[in-house]
Amino acid sequence: MSTFIKDYIEREKLSRRNFLFATAAGLTSAAIPGAFGGGAAMADAGGWALAWSYRDRASAYWNAIVSGGEAYTESLGLKKDAMTNLINEGSSEKSLADIKAFLAKNNGKAAIACDANDSPNARPVAEAVKKAGGYISTIWNKTDDLHPWDIGDNYVAHLSWSGEKPSEEAANILIKAMGGEGAIVHLGGIPANIPAIERLNGLKNAIKKNPKVQLLDSQPADWDTTKAAALMSNYLTKYGNKIKGVHCANDNMAYGVLQALKAEGINLPVTAFDGNPEAVDMVMKGELLATVFTNPHWGGGIALGLAHQAALGKFKPSEEPKAHREFYGPSILVTKADADAFKKKYLDSTPKYDWTDRWGLSAGQIEYK
Amino acid sequence: MARFLTRETLLKWAPLLVLIALIAFFSIINPNFLSVRNFARLFTNASPALMVAIGVTFIILMGSIDLSMEGAVSALAVIFCYVLLWLGGTIAGFGFLAIPAILLLGAIVGAINGLIHVHLRIPSFMSSLAMGFVGTGAAILMTGGNIVKINDETFRALLTERVFGFPLMVYVALFFLILGSIILSHTKVGRNFYAVGGGEDLAHASGVNVKRVRVWAFALAGFYFSIAALLQVAKLGQAESVTGSNLMFISITSVVVGGVALWGGIGGVWNALVGVLIVSVINNGMIVIGIPDFIQDGVLGIMVIIAVILSTDRRTVAFVK
Repeated sequence: MSTFIKDYIEREKLSRRNFLFATAAGLTSAAIPGAFGGGAAMADAGGWALAWSYRDRASAYWNAIVSGGEAYTESLGLKKDAMTNLINEGSSEKSLADIKAFLAKNNGKAAIACDANDSPNARPVAEAVKKAGGYISTIWNKTDDLHPWDIGDNYVAHLSWSGEKPSEEAANILIKAMGGEGAIVHLGGIPANIPAIERLNGLKNAIKKNPKVQLLDSQPADWDTTKAAALMSNYLTKYGNKIKGVHCANDNMAYGVLQALKAEGINLPVTAFDGNPEAVDMVMKGELLATVFTNPHWGGGIALGLAHQAALGKFKPSEEPKAHREFYGPSILVTKADADAFKKKYLDSTPKYDWTDRWGLSAGQIEYK
Repeated sequence: MARFLTRETLLKWAPLLVLIALIAFFSIINPNFLSVRNFARLFTNASPALMVAIGVTFIILMGSIDLSMEGAVSALAVIFCYVLLWLGGTIAGFGFLAIPAILLLGAIVGAINGLIHVHLRIPSFMSSLAMGFVGTGAAILMTGGNIVKINDETFRALLTERVFGFPLMVYVALFFLILGSIILSHTKVGRNFYAVGGGEDLAHASGVNVKRVRVWAFALAGFYFSIAALLQVAKLGQAESVTGSNLMFISITSVVVGGVALWGGIGGVWNALVGVLIVSVINNGMIVIGIPDFIQDGVLGIMVIIAVILSTDRRTVAFVK
């Protein structure tokens, strides 16, 4: 074969391949925005696409977080589905991949709120957003050495909730109901979870200040109702009527505890944490002594709102004090005395929040120990 | 005497001996363990898991596996609560219809599971696992992540009313345990499970309709999952998308620990009972004698391995996969 023909064939092959590549690339880039539902909503949010990245839809807590994000979106005069749900199903890899895809699709013009699923994942997420030119707020999970001000204006804020102080307040109510003396058992969350550790510490603080009260036992029931019911019945075998009060690290476990006690016809004071609607009903009926509400609706709304407002240039994160970059969300103790009023205000109808009052409900700057 | 102490007899009764040894061990350390109240607690907590374990025993006897239990129990529990509330909220009225409805639905779901496995020729572990995900998804979709509460005192009597110190739900579980035993030993379909598990080709050559037997087994498993769902609701007074969580580990472990062979053909519902009790006694006992929480999972794992070593005859198995 002459070199001419050989070169000719080679050249034709190449250009055909390039043509195919170009076609494929063109089709993909044209198809992706269509598949994601179009960028029409984008323009209405001041040119920024909105998204919330979170764990799942299987709990009242995350649904409340999302409802806050949707309320913020609606406050802009948009439909709530203008906010994209990026559900990570408990996978950090998916969380990061979803966020990167969302940034790419919107050419970086994205305002995102996110729970990074586990603490180490917050850094790659924040860096990906910065690189693409988007804005992000995180809640709950981030490592202690990562701070929004170190990343820059693109990492707008981090929001968390302190478990220690409200848990101590709940414990104080429990101790008061026990008449200031006796023994308490604690049912904890998954051992390595920060809220589980903080909520147990809160109980321990309260016990330190009440020398006549002792902590009999604290075991994990992994936030789970079924496990908590089994654990409570095991506690009853081990300690019998020595137990005078039960302190639970969340509402779901308290439901299990109450059922284990019901099975035996035993009445004990029980406190919980989370302030879910069912738990508040139980507080009103006197079945549960107290629970702690963390206002996830507001948290979900303001996390998205801060990222979006920073993107719009309504405030410059680096000009804000550190207490506005890393802060605690509110915690409200719900007891029988105020459960009725609480339910009317927060659960029967969701309060309308002024999302431009950015730090109105903040409970102060996050402290590291 | 020596005639009774053959190797086979010992192996047959080994799981029960392991259980008795465990009970003796925990009772010596904490006498509270050996009390009617503690056994009532233990049986109450173990009842739903026992129903799931019996259901999956039918499948494991055929050498297959059913992993749909978590999703199936969650979805069935949620549907039961909604139907009960829709029919007036109490089984003292029309609400009692919710019970047969959910038992039937459980069997139908199981049968669909079996049909998918048999007719689409998908390995049972994969088709049932996928069906389980469908169940969990359906439960999330129906509840939207919320909890459905049942406050009907008549239905809750399963937990609160006691006969000879044990809640009624324990007797319900006992009834279905005996029923399961009768199905396996006294019905054609039950004996066919052993035939299929012992050698599918042989069973087929002997004229057993293997496909139909498989679908029956899955339908029966679904029926038992629905009883587990009912007992979960009776125990906790609520259903949600995670009502069935953790049932997979405890039921499969129990069945194996109890001496049902994963390769099929050996064991029965009484093995499942002993297995569930071994796992429950270990869990309960560790807390009662005060083993620190951070090593409980490790201890459970080691004890399960020891129980399997003691209770299965691996000499008859050519290879383990």
